[in-house]
Amino acid sequence: MIDIHTHPVMVRELVEKDRKLAAAVRDVFGLRFPSGPLELFYRELDEAGVDQAVLLPIDCTHAHGCAIVTNDQIARLVAETHRFIGFCSVDPHLPGAGGELERAVSELRLVGLKLDPALQRFNPSSRAHAFPLYERCLALDIPVMIHCGMSLAPGGASRFARPISLEPALEQFPDLKLIVPHLGWPYVEEALMLSVRYRNVYLDTSVLYAGAPKDTLRHLLLKRLGAHVVEAIAFRLLFGSNYPRVDIRRSVRAVRELEVGETVRENILGRNAARLLGMDDSRPETHAKEAE
Amino acid sequence: MKSIVNRVTRLTRHETELINITEEVHQAVAASGVQSGTAFVLSLHTTTGLTVNEGLPDIEADIAEMLHHLASDEGSYHHGRFLASDGQMAVNATSHLRSALLGFQVFFPVEEGRLVLGGRQNIYLVELDGPQERTFVVQVLGE
Repeated sequence: MIDIHTHPVMVRELVEKDRKLAAAVRDVFGLRFPSGPLELFYRELDEAGVDQAVLLPIDCTHAHGCAIVTNDQIARLVAETHRFIGFCSVDPHLPGAGGELERAVSELRLVGLKLDPALQRFNPSSRAHAFPLYERCLALDIPVMIHCGMSLAPGGASRFARPISLEPALEQFPDLKLIVPHLGWPYVEEALMLSVRYRNVYLDTSVLYAGAPKDTLRHLLLKRLGAHVVEAIAFRLLFGSNYPRVDIRRSVRAVRELEVGETVRENILGRNAARLLGMDDSRPETHAKEAE
Repeated sequence: MKSIVNRVTRLTRHETELINITEEVHQAVAASGVQSGTAFVLSLHTTTGLTVNEGLPDIEADIAEMLHHLASDEGSYHHGRFLASDGQMAVNATSHLRSALLGFQVFFPVEEGRLVLGGRQNIYLVELDGPQERTFVVQVLGE
């Protein structure tokens, strides 16, 4: 199992050594509870049955004067264990963004790019700021995750994060592997439309705005969208928790308890992410009729 | 009268887990030097419990299952929303309810420097929303 969406922002070994990071996590990202030792992250993964977690940083230097974990910190965590997969982040406003992306991939061995238009305050279809980064992602053959939908961070502005605003980028770069997290909530239909229309758009399941994860996911995927729609995009649904805003255990159970076929569930929980990240080159198994 | 407060912190492993802390409480009492008094054991959390029972794995499993039955994951709860005060989604109503069923403290007399504990009695810190970092307190009051 792979969790495509975690933020290592409450790892004590990081935040206790870095007071600027601790302040950014509290004031910009909005997490205000005690950090825990790295060992606790591993135990959370163990208890949830998750083998590997993608670690996501956010570089919002221009908008907030900080990074919510730096690329180098991500690289150091990844070096500790095979259980972490590292994405990098660069600030599209900064002139050196492209170079930092190259460095993060070629030197730090990070395998994806995370952007957050809500926190970084940029237009994800800006030809000046965003398109050059997408070109680099294509050249480097890495996926990009672009935050979509509500931002829970106090420094985030959700108006920058509508899925439909990604369409110009997808028209320009149809081969770009793009992950839309949180199912784009509340703009779920826009996110779904992108994944139906553009073959390289993936959606992650880290969505929770009220109630329990299992109720939210069941409502959005099976009632609001429909099992037949889930079936149609099932190869591009990725399990994500948004840990530590939401615990990984309950997020896994939400997928496990979805009334869809077993193959669909297993693809969501790990196989789709493994294929996207180049860790599994097998052809996807068919989901036909499983959800009926 | 002396009041000796001893904090013990540990990382738990599982979502629900009964952790036998009897020996740690014995050690805290012995280290306090109190010969006659009371030992209080308290959890500093709202999603753990403290309880006393027989130290058998089957009883431990039954207690865990009873708690899951009484505060079922299938239930509908008021506590399910974004908690702006700490930036997390509050989705652990069952953990709080299971904690309320168990309570957060136990106490025993201290006599001749030793805890007065029944032969089958074990003290458990019960994790109800783990894995987490948890702290319990042993306060020994007496002479």
